[in-house]
Amino acid sequence: MRQTALRDHYEAHHAKVVDFHGWALPIQFSGIVEEHLHTRKHAGVFDCSHMGEFLCEGQEAIAAVDGLVCSDFVNLPVGRCRYSAILNEKGGIIDDCVALRLKEDLLYLVTNAGPVEDVGDLLQAQSPAIRNLSEDTAKIDVQGPNARKILLELGFEACAPLKFWNGLRSQWEEQEIIITRAGYTGELGYELYIPNEIAGALWDRLLDHPETMACGLGARDTLRTEMGYPLNGEDVTEEKTPMEASMDRFIAWDSPFPGKERILAQKEQGAYAVLMPVQSHTRQAPRPGFDVKKEGETVGVVTSGTYGPSVGAGVGLAYIPKALAIPGTAFTAGPRNLSIDVADGSLYKEGTCRVKVD
Amino acid sequence: MEPEGLRYTEEHEWIGEEDGLYLVGITEFAQEHMGDITYVELPEVGMEVARGQDVSVVESVKAAGDVYAPVTGVVVEVNTILEERPELVNKDAYGDGWFFKLKSVNRDELKALMDFTAYEAFLMEQTE
Repeated sequence: MRQTALRDHYEAHHAKVVDFHGWALPIQFSGIVEEHLHTRKHAGVFDCSHMGEFLCEGQEAIAAVDGLVCSDFVNLPVGRCRYSAILNEKGGIIDDCVALRLKEDLLYLVTNAGPVEDVGDLLQAQSPAIRNLSEDTAKIDVQGPNARKILLELGFEACAPLKFWNGLRSQWEEQEIIITRAGYTGELGYELYIPNEIAGALWDRLLDHPETMACGLGARDTLRTEMGYPLNGEDVTEEKTPMEASMDRFIAWDSPFPGKERILAQKEQGAYAVLMPVQSHTRQAPRPGFDVKKEGETVGVVTSGTYGPSVGAGVGLAYIPKALAIPGTAFTAGPRNLSIDVADGSLYKEGTCRVKVD
Repeated sequence: MEPEGLRYTEEHEWIGEEDGLYLVGITEFAQEHMGDITYVELPEVGMEVARGQDVSVVESVKAAGDVYAPVTGVVVEVNTILEERPELVNKDAYGDGWFFKLKSVNRDELKALMDFTAYEAFLMEQTE
């Protein structure tokens, strides 16, 4: 199994390590629920070094990447991040991604671990000016209402003015790093992209702070599910278009993208199943693979589901026919006919990710 | 309860006598394996259960599973606190985390279950 630069730093925090897309990664440290609640209340520290990073240099390279995604990267302002999806010719989602415009002629692209080889091949076939930095880059996310305060105390002054979905290049220990104010938890948070060589020192420094806690993939999953964020490979696959994945607000209809005709037809006809957050009324959770029924008839399927520690009920994501995907609509799910409702936006409403800073 | 005095199933339930009744729960290994327990569904009091019958549901953040009756008997009490505080199963699997109590249990079935030493050996085989 592949290891991140932080592999040797897990044991000190009692990690349970699992295989995630061929990477040895911590599923949990002290416990999923404890880590989840700590992130919502204080701050969690996550090793996300398995993710892919690409640097696209020059207008030509940026335009080439833009041609593969459903959003507009060409007109992305400097200093801003944008969420998008890399599409195949049929408009199916190969991977979801986040781009950061570092400079007018420099775009930083972050992708998932699962499809990183395919995505790497695809990107580098577009332009020699697209470099795969994944091997040398570690990524540590600091997420939670106290994340900003903690990073300022540790000398990351650069993050002070960052607004939600903004990012910049900075220095730490005389090394160049990238900081984005983004994340996958719904909390005020920062993603630190750093050279492998300093990852261990930074991880230790962050976790020496009394308000932080090491968090694993388990808490990352419960946190993102409560926010209704999809996970590539589970909720979103190459079979699904951005319309089906509820990514319509990230589609730049004025710019060309693969499978545009099909995706436009879906938009106009509305005859597709759409990914929606769902919630149960008890602690019992909908689980991936549960069929979703309306009056006894199967109409959809659950793709993510778990107990939501901050919601206090089962939370998940399910594909439901567009015509029935109305917040408040009731369904049953799974072999025991668990009652679930389609939710209006995120399932957890108190997230601090959008908080204004001075 | 002291784990040394309990009987065990291959599905990782435990059963032990207290004041003439038999308490049933899931083992330390089972709770550790499942991780944070988030939901427990208990059987109805008065229910007659047969050995191996699924009588209870337990869910964690990561997984969901059934709990089986280790022996034939009648449910006389259930640990309703678990409905609000399922984490007690993690904290005290052989104590506050018990699931239900049985009476009129089948003694032959009980004797056929693994004792502590046999269960320890069974776990060794499972994890090898």
